[in-house]
Amino acid sequence: MKKIIARNIAIITAIFMITLSIMLITNYFQAKDVSPLQTQVVETLKKLNDQNADNPQLQEQIRQLDLMARKAYFINMDHLMRGVYLLLGMLVVFIVSIRIYFAQHKDIPDKEIDLIDEWAIQSQARKYVGLIATGLTAVALLFVVFSMPFMQASKNNTETALAQKDTNSSIVGNTINEAPSLPEETIETNPVENTGSIESEEESVSVEETPLSSKESTTEEIDVASVETSEKAETTAPVSVPKVTSNAFRGNDANGITQAKNIPVKWDLQGGSNIAWKSEIPRGGQSSPVINGNRVFITGADAQARELYCYDLNTGKLLWTLAAVNIAGSPSQVPKTTEDTGLASASVSTNGKQVCAIFATGDVICANMEGKQLWAKNIGVPDNHYGYASSLLVFKNQLFIQYDNRNTHKLIALNTENGKELWSKERADKIAWSSPSIAYVNNQPQLILMSDPSITAYNPTTGDQIWRVECLMGEVGASACSADGIIFGASEYAKMVAINGTDGSVLWESMDYLPEASSPVATHDNIYLATSYGVVASFDTKTGELKKEHETGEEFYSSLMLVEGKIYLFSNGGKMHIFSADDEFKLLDSFETGENTYATPAFTDGRIVVRTDQSIYCVKAN
Amino acid sequence: MKRLFSILSSLLLMSGIGAQNRFPKPDFESGYQYPDIQHALPNEQLWLYVDIFMLVALMSFVAWAILKKRTRKPIIWVSVISVAYFGFFRSGCVCSIGSVQNVSLALVGHTYILPVSVLLFFILPILFAFLFGRVFCAGVCPFGAIQELVNIKNYRLSRSVTSVLSIIPWVYLIFAVLYAVTRSSFIICRFDPFIGFFRLGGDFGLILFGALLLLASVFTGRPFCRFICPYAPLLSLFSRVAIWKVQITKQKCINCELCHNACPVDAIRPPYENKVKEQRLQGVKRLLMYFVVLPFMMVALAFIMRYASDDLSRAHKEVRLYDMVQKQEADPQDKITLELESFFGQGGKISELKQKVNVIQQDYKRYSTIAGALMGLVIGLMLIKLSIKRSRKEYEIEHADCVDCGKCFSYCPQNSICKSVLLK
Repeated sequence: MKKIIARNIAIITAIFMITLSIMLITNYFQAKDVSPLQTQVVETLKKLNDQNADNPQLQEQIRQLDLMARKAYFINMDHLMRGVYLLLGMLVVFIVSIRIYFAQHKDIPDKEIDLIDEWAIQSQARKYVGLIATGLTAVALLFVVFSMPFMQASKNNTETALAQKDTNSSIVGNTINEAPSLPEETIETNPVENTGSIESEEESVSVEETPLSSKESTTEEIDVASVETSEKAETTAPVSVPKVTSNAFRGNDANGITQAKNIPVKWDLQGGSNIAWKSEIPRGGQSSPVINGNRVFITGADAQARELYCYDLNTGKLLWTLAAVNIAGSPSQVPKTTEDTGLASASVSTNGKQVCAIFATGDVICANMEGKQLWAKNIGVPDNHYGYASSLLVFKNQLFIQYDNRNTHKLIALNTENGKELWSKERADKIAWSSPSIAYVNNQPQLILMSDPSITAYNPTTGDQIWRVECLMGEVGASACSADGIIFGASEYAKMVAINGTDGSVLWESMDYLPEASSPVATHDNIYLATSYGVVASFDTKTGELKKEHETGEEFYSSLMLVEGKIYLFSNGGKMHIFSADDEFKLLDSFETGENTYATPAFTDGRIVVRTDQSIYCVKAN
Repeated sequence: MKRLFSILSSLLLMSGIGAQNRFPKPDFESGYQYPDIQHALPNEQLWLYVDIFMLVALMSFVAWAILKKRTRKPIIWVSVISVAYFGFFRSGCVCSIGSVQNVSLALVGHTYILPVSVLLFFILPILFAFLFGRVFCAGVCPFGAIQELVNIKNYRLSRSVTSVLSIIPWVYLIFAVLYAVTRSSFIICRFDPFIGFFRLGGDFGLILFGALLLLASVFTGRPFCRFICPYAPLLSLFSRVAIWKVQITKQKCINCELCHNACPVDAIRPPYENKVKEQRLQGVKRLLMYFVVLPFMMVALAFIMRYASDDLSRAHKEVRLYDMVQKQEADPQDKITLELESFFGQGGKISELKQKVNVIQQDYKRYSTIAGALMGLVIGLMLIKLSIKRSRKEYEIEHADCVDCGKCFSYCPQNSICKSVLLK
C-alpha cells in the first residue's frame, strides 16, 4: 500500500513537474527579450519630453509608465523564480516518493547489456575513440584548409583598413598635439572679442530666427569698442560686430537672399584692392563659408583629417580648429569621392550658439562659438559616388540633414545642443546632392528638399510631410528657392517647377534653361538661375516665361546670391558677375578675382567672404 | 526516512538565500536617494579556516568509513553535510574543481597571487586521493554529494560508450586550463551546472542543464562526475596509485556479481574470461602502431589547435572588443554595444587595442599548441589503454573510476558473513 501511494505521488509530481517546466520555459523565452523600459509608448513620450521639457504632466505620465513597467517586470521575474522554487520542491517530493518506492530494491544481476567479453568491449570502445578522433581531425583539417585562406584574406583587408585608420588617427593625434587635443584647449582666444561680442551675436540670432519679412534689414553695427577699450589694453581699434548673419549655405534659410548692405562691387585678389584679408585653409574642400557675428566658419578635409575652422571676420585669423575624431562609427578609411567633390563639400550651419558640420564620412560634429565640441556622432557612412555634398541647415535648435545617398534616404533632425535625434523621416527619393532650405508660406516655415524624383515640403518642427511634387529626375544638385510662398525648384535634364506652398499645386513648368549645381534665387517678380554651360537667365515667377538670358561663356557651380537688389554670381574660373535683380537683368559688371571659385560667398554688412579652391578671403570696401 | 527528512530540512533552511536582482535606474530625477552599492565582502578568514577544517575532517571521515569500517551510512551523512555547508551555505565557492584554474593561472601569471585556501582546496583532495583514493568525490564534493543523494536506481550504460565519454573530462580540463592561463575566462565556474541551485538563482540555461543532470542522476550514477568533471581526471591519476586502496571485502571474492551490479559508476570490473581470442602478435602490432601514431596525433592536434587559436582567442574580452571595433569600422551602426560605447567613450585607441590583442593571440598560439598536444596525448593513451589486456580472476575495483561511495559494501555477501560472525 505504502509503495503504491509513493508510486502514485511520484507519477503525479512527475506530470506536475513536466507541465510546470514547459510553462516556465515558455514564460522565460517570452520574457527574455522584453525590455520593459524601451516600450514604444515610453520612448515616444520621452521624445516628446525632450522637445518640450517644461511639461510636468508629461513627465509624471512617463514616471507612472516607467514605474508600471518596472513593477510588471519584477512581478514577472518573481513569478518565474517562484516557479523554479516550486519545481525544486516538486523534485524533492518526487525523489522522496521514488526512494520510498525503491526502498527495498536491490540491484541484482540482470541481463548484461555489454558484450560478453571485456576484450570485445575494449575493442569496440577503441573503434569508437578512433572513429571520433579521426572524424574530429578530418573536420578540423578541412576547416583549416578551406576556411583559413578566406579568413586571413578578410582579416588582412580589415587590418589594412584599421591600420589606415591608425595612421589617420596618429596624424590627427600629431596635429592635436601641436594644437592641444581638447577642444577647449584648441581655442586661440581672440583678445578683441569677449562677452560683449557674444551678447551681440545672441541678439543677431534672435533677429535671424524671425522670417525674412522681419526687421533683419537693420544695418546698424553694434560698436562694442567703448566697452572693450577700457578693459583691454591691447584693443587699439574699434571692433564692429555685423548684425546680419549668413548662417548657412546661401545665407539664412538657405534661400540665396541676404539683407546685408554696403557690399563692395569691385575687388582684386591679386592686387589686394578691397581685400580685407586672405588666409589659407589647412585642408581642402568645396563647402561655403558661413558668417555669424565676427566669426566665419568653414570646413576642410582630406584623407588624414576632417576639420571645422573658425576665422576672425575682421582679421582672417584662424581662431580655432575642431577635428572630427574619436567618433563611434566613423569609418577607418574615408569613402571614395571625386576630386571636385571631396570630403568637405557640405557647408556648415549655425544658430549663433552652436555650429555644426558634416563630412563625407558621415561624421557630424557640433561646437559652441568658442570651439568647444558639444557632441559628435556618425550617422552612417554615405554610399555616394561623387561624395556627400548636401549642406546642413540649422533652424532654431534643430539641425536638418538631408541624407539622400544610395544606402540612406532620409531627413534627420537633430537637437543642436546635444545631438539627440528629434525626428527622422524615411524618404522615397533617390540619391541627391541638393541642400535643404526654408520657405515661408503664410508666415509659416516649410522645410524644402529636392531630390530625384520630388520636391517635398516638411513641417520643420515635426517632420510631417506637407506636400510632395514628383517632377525631377537624374542627379539633383541644385537646391530650391522661394519667394512669396512659392517654391521654385530646377534641375538639369529635368525641369523647373513653381509650386504653390499652400497646397503643393504646380503653378508652371519650364525647360528653357536648367542648372546643374548652381541654385536659383527668386524675387517677387523674377527667378534667376545659372547653368553649368554658361547661360544665366531670368524668368517670370508668375508664368515661368523666359525674360532675359546672358551667354557668359563661363561654367557655374556657385549659387546666385541676391544682395542689395543685385545678383552676385561667381563662375568656376573665379570671375564675378553682378547683375541687376530686376526685369532688365543687366550685367552690371564682371571681373576676374584671380582664383577658381566653386563655393557660394557669404555676405554680411560691408563684407563678402569667399572661399576659393585655395584659400578664404574677405572683401571689404577700403 | 530520517535521511530524507534531513535533506529536506537542509534545503528548506537554505531557501532564505536570495539572488540579487539587477535593473537599470530610472533615467529621470525623482528625488529618490539610491542606497550605496553594496559589494560582496571577501570570505572572512575564519570561514576559510572552517572551510579547510571541514574539507579535511569530512575527507578523513570518509576515508575512515570506507577503509576501516567499510560502511556507506557515514558517507550519506557526509553528503548531506557537504551539500548543506559547501553547497548552500558557502554557495559552492571555494570549490576544488574550480581551483584548477586558479592554480594554472598562478603557474603562468606572474601578477596573480594564489590564495592559500584555494591552493589547499586544490592540493588536499589530490593528497587524499594519493593516500586513500577518491574520498573527496565520495561525498565531500557538493556536486558529487547532490548527485549521490538523488540517485535511486541505476541503469547501467554500455562500457564501450562510457569509455569514449571519459575523454570529455580531460578535454574540458585542458580547455579550462587554456582559458585560465590566457586570462580569458574561468569556464568551470562560468558553466557550473549546480551553482544555480546552491545560490537559488542564476542563468536559466545552466539551471536547466543542472536539472537535467540531476534527473539523469536519479537513474544512473553521477553523470557529472563521470563524464564532465574536469577535476576527476587528476584525482583518477592519483587514486590509481593510492597507498591505501579501498576493498569491497577482506574476504575472498566468491564472484557473485552483486557488487558489480550495485556500483553506480561501473567501477567494478568483472573477471576477465578472454572469450574473444586474438593472436598475440596482432595485439602487439596494434600496440606498437598506437605508440607510433601517438606523437603524430599530438603533433596533428597541436597543429590544428594552433591554427584555431585565433578563433579560440575570441573567448578573451579584449579580442571580442577588437572584433566588435572591426565590425563597427567595416559597417558602422547607429546603435552600438555598451562595450563599444565604453571603448570609444573613454577615448580608446584602436592601435593600443590591437597591440593587446596581438599579445593575447600570441599567448593563445603557444598555449593552444600545448593544449592540442595534450589532447592528442589523452586520445592516444586512451587507445593504448584500450589495447592492453589485463587478466582478472575475480571482481576488482577500478580505482581510477571508483568514487568511494561505499554502495558495494552492503551488497557483498562476504561482508554480511563477516558481520554475522562478529555479532556472534
